Amino acid sequence: MQDPQEQTHFGFKNVDKAQKASMVADVFHSVAGKYDLMNDLMSMGIHRLWKRFTIDCSGVRQGQKVLDLAGGTGDLTAKFSRIVGNTGQVVLADINDSMLKVGRDKLRDRGILGNVEYVQANAEALPFPDNTFDIITIAFGLRNVTDKDKALASMYRVLKPGGRLLVLEFSKPEYELLNKVYDAYSFHLLPKIGQLVANDAESYQYLAESIRMHPDQETLKGMMEQVGFEQTTYHNLTGGIVALHRGFKF
Amino acid sequence: MPAAQLAGAFIESAINKLLSLDPASQKRLIALNGKQLVVAVKELPWPLTFIFNDKISLLMTAAEQPDCRIALSLSTLNKLKDTSQLTRLIQERELELIGDIHVAQSFSVLLNELDIDWEEQLSVYTGDVVAHQTIYGAKQLVARFKEHGQQLQQGLSDALIQEKQLIAHPMAIEQFSQAVNQLRSDTERLDARLKRLSQKQQG
Repeated sequence: MQDPQEQTHFGFKNVDKAQKASMVADVFHSVAGKYDLMNDLMSMGIHRLWKRFTIDCSGVRQGQKVLDLAGGTGDLTAKFSRIVGNTGQVVLADINDSMLKVGRDKLRDRGILGNVEYVQANAEALPFPDNTFDIITIAFGLRNVTDKDKALASMYRVLKPGGRLLVLEFSKPEYELLNKVYDAYSFHLLPKIGQLVANDAESYQYLAESIRMHPDQETLKGMMEQVGFEQTTYHNLTGGIVALHRGFKF
Repeated sequence: MPAAQLAGAFIESAINKLLSLDPASQKRLIALNGKQLVVAVKELPWPLTFIFNDKISLLMTAAEQPDCRIALSLSTLNKLKDTSQLTRLIQERELELIGDIHVAQSFSVLLNELDIDWEEQLSVYTGDVVAHQTIYGAKQLVARFKEHGQQLQQGLSDALIQEKQLIAHPMAIEQFSQAVNQLRSDTERLDARLKRLSQKQQG
């Protein structure tokens, strides 16, 4: 019999912890090419506003060093790069090389060069020295991480004192009616859109399941505080479908 | 839905689209490269931070250390078109400005000197002939509307002032105001004399 300590969630399934990273990697290898298009379709473009809100809450300034973790196709990196300017730096990190390549090509095509670095990194063991970054963002990435506590601790370590972490992630809708509509959409419509556009219903079934298994607003806030983040708050967006958590390291 | 971010996305896209339609605007944008300008419009619930690079990025929050920060009302916004008026607006407290005034001036110039060849833009989709005729027709239509508007304004003015006498002529209002001022002065003088006489009688 498997030791439950060595098990974790992959959507609604229980899998070995050692397997999850490669299973998540397969999902993102599969969807990388259509990732942006699918995001626009699935959220009706609202994900762009959620990301803008994240940047507005980041307090980012010229000359700062930003880590865009699980940065995928680089939406946040593009904006941060323009704000921190030539004296600052943005590191786009993702565990998945397919996503990283799509992100790098997209940003280069948009003329975003010079102050952006690309790093393939596991959020649980970030390959950076202590106290490196002024701001760390992880947008729609934390729920895919196998050991979230370990990842949050790793982020805390590489964040400079005074720096802030922003976690943008799907969460629990605040209203019951919205919850029901959202469930119907996620489990019935979403996999069909995935099949139609990306020819991959399974990955989008996983997306819906992984969202339900992700800690709710209060639990995630507690997890951040547990690893040392202070003044931790969250802000519900679109009725709690998404929440932005923010915590500081002092 | 985050309303501020929706508004920000709309403003940012609109400004960048307009700039892209005027190739000469890139030269003016270079003057602002790397600068940050915070604009706090009193009637808006959010401050705006404009960040200038090869494009303009907009944050719906105030940057902590901008190169320039201006606070003003919507009515003053229109007056910024004339950059030579900036000093006067500051003196008259219509505009609060902290930081590098050149950033505000350069931004104003960037937007005011936009010169978009709409005919050229339209011709991409419709061809030269249709684009020319459409823009020519639109210009004539606007001119005709303006002319009709002026005629209507004049006609209404004549009817209300001269024929129906429902509204006073500006000159009549001016004369009335002068007469009221004169009467006020006379009354104040009389009041002062009465006070003096009253004091004499008591003394």
